[in-house]
Amino acid sequence: MESMEKEPEKIIELVNVKKIYHMGNEKIYAVNDVSFDIKKGEFCCLLGTSGSGKSTLLNLMAGIEKATSGKILIKGKNIPKMSENSLARFRQRYLGFVFQAYNLINSMTAIENVEFPLVFKRVSPKKRKKLAREMLVKVGLESRLAHKPKEMSGGQQQRVGIARAFVAKPEIVFADEPTGNLDTKTTIEVMELIKQMARDNNQTIVMVTHDRSLAAYADKIIHILDGRIQSIEVTERDKQENMQAHLKEISRKLLLERGGDTGGQDVPAETAEDVAKETTEGILAEEQMTERQITETEHRG
Amino acid sequence: MRISDLLKLAFRNLMRRKARTALTVIGVVIGTISIVVMVSIGFGVNKSFDETIMQSGSMTIIRVQKYGAVYDENGNYVDSKEQVLDDSVVEQIRGIEHVKAVSPIIQKYVQLECGKYQSGVTLYGMDCEAFEAFEFPALQYGNYPTKEHPTTVVLSPQSMQYFYNFSGRNYQEKSVDPLTEEVILKFQEYQTHPRKKPFELSLSDVAMMEETDNWEYSYNIYMDIDYFHEVWQKYANTLTLEDRKRAVSSVSSYEEIKINVDNINNVAKVQDDIEALGYATYSEMQYLEPLKETSRMLQMVLGAIGSIAMIVSAINIANTMVMSIYERTKEIGIMKVLGCLVRDVKRQFLLEAGLIGLLGGIIGIIISYVLSHLINKYGSGIMSSIVGTETTGSLSIIPLWLPFAAAAFGMLIGILSGYFPARRATRIRAIEAMKTEG
Repeated sequence: MESMEKEPEKIIELVNVKKIYHMGNEKIYAVNDVSFDIKKGEFCCLLGTSGSGKSTLLNLMAGIEKATSGKILIKGKNIPKMSENSLARFRQRYLGFVFQAYNLINSMTAIENVEFPLVFKRVSPKKRKKLAREMLVKVGLESRLAHKPKEMSGGQQQRVGIARAFVAKPEIVFADEPTGNLDTKTTIEVMELIKQMARDNNQTIVMVTHDRSLAAYADKIIHILDGRIQSIEVTERDKQENMQAHLKEISRKLLLERGGDTGGQDVPAETAEDVAKETTEGILAEEQMTERQITETEHRG
Repeated sequence: MRISDLLKLAFRNLMRRKARTALTVIGVVIGTISIVVMVSIGFGVNKSFDETIMQSGSMTIIRVQKYGAVYDENGNYVDSKEQVLDDSVVEQIRGIEHVKAVSPIIQKYVQLECGKYQSGVTLYGMDCEAFEAFEFPALQYGNYPTKEHPTTVVLSPQSMQYFYNFSGRNYQEKSVDPLTEEVILKFQEYQTHPRKKPFELSLSDVAMMEETDNWEYSYNIYMDIDYFHEVWQKYANTLTLEDRKRAVSSVSSYEEIKINVDNINNVAKVQDDIEALGYATYSEMQYLEPLKETSRMLQMVLGAIGSIAMIVSAINIANTMVMSIYERTKEIGIMKVLGCLVRDVKRQFLLEAGLIGLLGGIIGIIISYVLSHLINKYGSGIMSSIVGTETTGSLSIIPLWLPFAAAAFGMLIGILSGYFPARRATRIRAIEAMKTEG
């Protein structure tokens, strides 16, 4: 991480957010008066037991569910007030998603799944094929391009999911229990992958988990209980870096035990950076267009 | 999404459930076939009715006959009445709107002789100025009579063909060429005065009509009505005193008045106008109307049968799409979360439904052409038993616009029946969709 010369901008800001479900005559406060903010490039973890409202909170931020009251500002846009269309365009432009159940499309191959978000963005077939391929190479699946999800292991599927989340170079990636269905070994691989990807492009990660040990990857941990924030824990830099070194060591050992079956996990840093740069440039023109579209829609809405 | 991507995705989704797609398409195929074949049979029947009528005379002709038929209010024939048809009636009718031509007609059965050979034909005396307006056929030779030159007798081809030698042993038959052989015309109706030379008219000034389908112009011979009166007067002079009077009075009024109307659609109106004058009329159109009504009914019934099949296939498409949406709920949810516009979700499902419709429509049309061909080849026997007449034309006629209309209709049916399922797809909430299995 860079040094703290200047305060990074707030990319996500929640103000008094509430989500109330009605069960018969009973009101259930799934999210009760939550306020916090996340800075650009931050790895934020929403930590809580099941039923604590952490997933709901994520869905509210992603615009998948509408907040009952309060403000959710992402890149200055108030998410609950956006129309379905402008939300869709907003997601194309700024958001990526990683799910616990992978949520890949079973009839499509790995590369087609990764391409899919770009299809909605009207990227040309040639260009998006190239981007998707690069992304899959990056997550170490160059030998699995034409495989369907059912032909891959859970870890491989989640890597496809990660490739799909990052392929359009979104500024924010939401991850809902991304390792919930994976064993410990794979969990570490996947977490490393997400962390590395996010760091390469200074992307913001919002991850939901119940696993205290995974929260160690985060810069900021928000503890949720019964729809309320219990505490916000900002990991100190050196402590965090120690932890990271520690985690890396563990994962390396694990990988050694498993042998060479790791695909492109150990891509040389240089190459990875080059690819990332190229991809960014490639997508830039497209992004500018989409941005204009979004502002237009906003005006109309 | 790009149109090409939408199409690709729609095709892919249709191919994912090949059997189901095929069954739905077959539904549309059957619907299309029933509409196209049924409508084509309707057209065929209609056309053969028209042809049948055409053969029996011109359809714009109305006749007022000396013995007019009397019908009761249900249209059943009850009696006939004698009506006096003279020049004043002709002039009255001439004044009616839409009447193109009117001619009084006198009809006499005459005997033609050529040496020992004889033949009997009907002679029509009519206004020579009306020949053209009544659309008489073109002439092989000679000219139609005019007021200046009224003596030409117009012959029809078959009137010269069946001459028999009755005195011969076995009724020899021959055709006569009136240009090279002398043909004599004789009236036989009345008794000739014993001391007078029987009347004979040598047919030297003749014209010959061309062969036509219309029987009216096939067997009869025609003469200008004024010239006929002249000839008849000469004939009457050779008769006994008693018969002379009768002969003269027999032509004092006309046998028939023939009217040609300017347009087929005005026939019924002119007919009503003449009836209003108090004269019974007759026209081929009278008979064509109920026939047309029948064929229109037949066409409607056939079309309705076809439409029912099409409606069933529309329901079939809707069902397929609903099933498909249930199956793909999760996929739709994922698409929405990944940033797919609602519009594109809808378009995709409409496109799939439309493709089913279009595909079924095209296959249906191809099979319809084959069926239509087979019906025309083997089905004319069945046809004549339905219509009751021998048909010459095609039983099933597919007009050029029909296949296009059917394909467009198939696609429209697809899109319409896909509309509500597609709308349903757009309302699926991403959060719930992703929780479903599949």
